[in-house]
Amino acid sequence: MPKNQQKTVFLGMSGGVDSSLSAVLLKEQGYNVVGVYMKNWSRDLPGMKCPWAEDLADAKRVAVKLGIDFRVFDFETEYKQKVVDYMLAEFKKGNTPNPDIMCNQEIKFKLFYDVAMEQGADLIATGHYARVGRESEREITLSSRPTLLMAKDANKDQTYFLYRISEEALNRTLFPVGDMLKTEVKKLAAEKGLDNAYKKESMGVCFVGEVGMKDFLKEYIDIQPGEIIDVETGKVLGMHEGAIFYTVGQRHGLNVGGGLPYYVVKKDIEKNLVYVSANLNHQELWTKKLELKDVILRDLMVMQGEQNTEIQVRLRHRAPLIPAQLEIEHNKNNAIVSFEKPIKTPASGQSVVFYDSEVCLGGGIIR
Amino acid sequence: MIYLDHAAATPVSEKALARMLPYFSEQFFNPSSPYLPANHLRQNYEYAKGQIAHTIGAKGNDIVITAGATESINLAFTAIPALMNDICVGKSGEKSTKNILILEIEHPSVRATARALVENFSGADKNVKSPLELREIKVDKTGLIDLKDFRKKLDENTIFVSVSLANNELGTIQPLAEIAEIIARERTKRLESGKIIPVYLHSDASQALNLVDISVARLGVDLLTINSAKVGGPKGVGALYVGHGVKLRPLIYGGGQEVGLRSGTENVPGVMGFAEAATETKGHLSGNRKKYEKMRQILAKELEKSPISPLFLGNKKHQLANFLPVSFPGVDAERIIYKLEEKQVYLSTGAACAANKGAKSHVLTAIGLSDEEIAGSLRISLGVLNTEENAKEAGKLIVQAVSEETQRVSGGKQAQQIKSDGCGVQNA
Repeated sequence: MPKNQQKTVFLGMSGGVDSSLSAVLLKEQGYNVVGVYMKNWSRDLPGMKCPWAEDLADAKRVAVKLGIDFRVFDFETEYKQKVVDYMLAEFKKGNTPNPDIMCNQEIKFKLFYDVAMEQGADLIATGHYARVGRESEREITLSSRPTLLMAKDANKDQTYFLYRISEEALNRTLFPVGDMLKTEVKKLAAEKGLDNAYKKESMGVCFVGEVGMKDFLKEYIDIQPGEIIDVETGKVLGMHEGAIFYTVGQRHGLNVGGGLPYYVVKKDIEKNLVYVSANLNHQELWTKKLELKDVILRDLMVMQGEQNTEIQVRLRHRAPLIPAQLEIEHNKNNAIVSFEKPIKTPASGQSVVFYDSEVCLGGGIIR
Repeated sequence: MIYLDHAAATPVSEKALARMLPYFSEQFFNPSSPYLPANHLRQNYEYAKGQIAHTIGAKGNDIVITAGATESINLAFTAIPALMNDICVGKSGEKSTKNILILEIEHPSVRATARALVENFSGADKNVKSPLELREIKVDKTGLIDLKDFRKKLDENTIFVSVSLANNELGTIQPLAEIAEIIARERTKRLESGKIIPVYLHSDASQALNLVDISVARLGVDLLTINSAKVGGPKGVGALYVGHGVKLRPLIYGGGQEVGLRSGTENVPGVMGFAEAATETKGHLSGNRKKYEKMRQILAKELEKSPISPLFLGNKKHQLANFLPVSFPGVDAERIIYKLEEKQVYLSTGAACAANKGAKSHVLTAIGLSDEEIAGSLRISLGVLNTEENAKEAGKLIVQAVSEETQRVSGGKQAQQIKSDGCGVQNA
């Protein structure tokens, strides 16, 4: 008799290959698997279509093929409030938020977790590329402290998006494809007859779709013309459609003619000004220090740690790890990350995620 | 493969395909070109149009060729702005709100078109009353029009009525002639009171052309939509019958083809295929009806053997002979579909939640089904690809799938069951 038979796992199924194969693997491991499609917020505007209905059908098809229970959780209202409204509010403040991180924190590993537990789940699972380090693989106890670990496939690792999820949820989470390479996942999925094994991967934020963030924001935020100013000369180079639509470091999308590419150096949201420079070496485009807020600390090492801890950080999903020094303020809410060599200044609102080799230590949001 | 979804699409018949083929590469001319071969093509095209019109008892000049039923419906509804322009503007300017009546179980192509029209007429100011109102006519438990409700909602301000000849989920056939008669009486009343505001009757007959003997005169319609793809013709071709005196506005402007109502170079092969298929099907109306009725009986008898007794939907007396809408309450019909597709048996759900953007069917809701009955409903529609043998086989396979699903739900360890809506969607 399979060892896990008594345990019920609610698996988030998106219709993609990763969560589909996760369903197969969990079932083979003897779990009682309940597939769940989370219906998140999507606007159906002409030309702005989120293929959720097809995704739902794909997910359900896999569930039926495996003979497992399947449910649809409607999280539209919560998703709109916790993810979309948050994102719009942040943009209005001049920041560049990451909605995927917020979605994991608020929806997948909070709301989904809570509803699953309410409905009788012992564990939850998703198709994320990440791993959980546990004191005991056999027994998941309430008191055990899980660690969030990078995926085996370093190129697919998704811990950058997961650094804010609660310890309680992580403790009861399985990532069935976390210790597989993507190539292995695809191969095995094809062997298991999962037709969606070659389906195009969904990338980015679903509700934004293919039109891109700027066009999406324009649906909510009125265009407000403002000046584009050369940070060095103070000369007005042209007009933009609203400072909030621009991100520091951005090169494209400026209505500045002429040969040289300009980079956004800084924004003045109140005065609706965008400062640019043609000089990629302009000092404001580079920094050796980042101030973080809303810091999450996942690991005892940093939580009780010395004032200056040597860590590695990741500034974007799939970006390389960079050595850095972490200094945490007493309130544990703010932190400063410093680098030996200057880095290209990331936009405020983006996340910096901390690592100690494969262990995700936490992270914070750039002020 | 056992195909049970002829209400969604039909294969192009051999004859229709053969009739189309010469018009792709050999007879490729533009029918509007000035040289003789193009003139010949024009004649062939007009002849084919005449054949299409003939199947509904009309003449070639009475129909407009479109790119399908949805376009035909949209074009039919342009009668409304044309009328509003005539009666609300000018000296005699009507001030009272006009209304459109549609059946509450109409296809989305009717519902959405009607709603968009009303929306376009209402201004940005929500306090100002819209000059156009949409009213939905109720149906009974079998999907048949509630004539009492219709009489109540039809008044001196009604300018447009749209009732499908046969419903696309239930196959229920509406008493169009009776509806037309009620409208005729309203017209008489208006004439007698000296208020000459027209009221038009449109019917979407997309599902019915191959099973009902349609005559526009007998039905008493002013506008009628038909479709090639449901009767063994190619997709992307449809027609709209336009009665005398009905003013429409083009949706597509250009070179003025189709008497200016539908510009664009004619889809010659498409029209040839439609003409052939429509003529072919018209010749076998009663034979096909008997054939499908027999198959339906055989299939229904198999379904009776299910562990959950089937709830047959629609109106037994007034139903398209190829339709067998059925619900297995408590079973998730979508799961049945995915199970059956692995055995190459293809059919639709009544609800079709995934395809329906998660909304439950407005048709099944309107006929008063419970969420459980909606979630368990399948739409079986027979046609040219069916035989008595494969209808029986299909019945067996459906019952087998239903049994398996029933066992899965009752046996094994189940997580706590939570009540959800007809689409299986739970609100957090």
